[in-house]
Amino acid sequence: MGDLLFSITEWLRSTPLNEFALAMSESPLTLWMVTQFWAIPILQIVHILSIAASFAAVLMMNLRIFNLAGHATLAETAQRYTKVLWWSLAVVILSGVLMLFGDTVRNLLNSIFWIKMALVVFGIVVALAFTKGMRRRVATTGEVVGGGTKATAVFLVILWCVIMACGRWIAYAPA
Amino acid sequence: MSYYPEPTNIWESIEYSSLGTTIAESTWMFPTIETLHVIALVTVIGTIALVDLRLVGVKGHALRVSQLAKDTLPWTWGAFGLAALTGGLLFISKASSYMINPYFLWKMGLMALAGLNMLYFHLTTWRTVEHWELDPSFPGMAKLAGWLSLIFWLGVVFCGRLIGFTLGIYY
Repeated sequence: MGDLLFSITEWLRSTPLNEFALAMSESPLTLWMVTQFWAIPILQIVHILSIAASFAAVLMMNLRIFNLAGHATLAETAQRYTKVLWWSLAVVILSGVLMLFGDTVRNLLNSIFWIKMALVVFGIVVALAFTKGMRRRVATTGEVVGGGTKATAVFLVILWCVIMACGRWIAYAPA
Repeated sequence: MSYYPEPTNIWESIEYSSLGTTIAESTWMFPTIETLHVIALVTVIGTIALVDLRLVGVKGHALRVSQLAKDTLPWTWGAFGLAALTGGLLFISKASSYMINPYFLWKMGLMALAGLNMLYFHLTTWRTVEHWELDPSFPGMAKLAGWLSLIFWLGVVFCGRLIGFTLGIYY
């Protein structure tokens, strides 16, 4: 696994991404951020807090679907936490993009970073389909949840965990 | 054959224990435990914040606060257990570095304050939650407990993240 990740990073270095990363690391924003000790820690804290909000939203929708948090109706639950999910994801992405400017080369030329990005895009597509499906199901069948919705709900939690794991492991990627 | 010096205090004894050195010497154990710690703490903070925000007056839904708490708190506690366990393992691997790191000590202190805030709130204002949760505005003590919890946990995250930037720079 380590060897594979290392060879992906080696390959990334051989692509035009190498020059792009170096050019980006000379952008005014990056040059300013590297002089600010607090920039990266504060962005990381914002990133973690917004991940907490989005993960809690996914978790609460899951619990409701599996009747483990059964006090609100499905429609209410879906509506409330979909809003939390999208707003917090917006902050996750914004803080993530800013962090990318702060530490360009370490991220852009990093195999785990790109695995994480692919999973994030995939995760957002799945979450979009999931929340849309849940709303439609609530509208047509009321409170009945099908097996597909349940499976997607669990899958989203696992996917979120894998994405968080990738986020932590960017710092440990073989390079 | 141990390559570690003779421990001079309890923290070094913990750090040089076979569990401590196993985690410290492994290439993958520390990051893996750290990853579980992140997933656990994100769950703790996220679910606590849902209740805290409700207490300070962020409504957005019809759910009663006592119902919301009943829904979330088992998961908060489960995740807290995992965070404490993984945090304990991380601590064991570098105990003496953590014990001289001010951010680590602040983090522990803030968690103690968050715990005391929760304990006091649950033993006082929360006992009568059924009487006030349908009121248009919650009692001042409930709002205060919510704000304090948000502030303490924000501080815990702040200090926790700062530990990662400062571990090993204090002697």
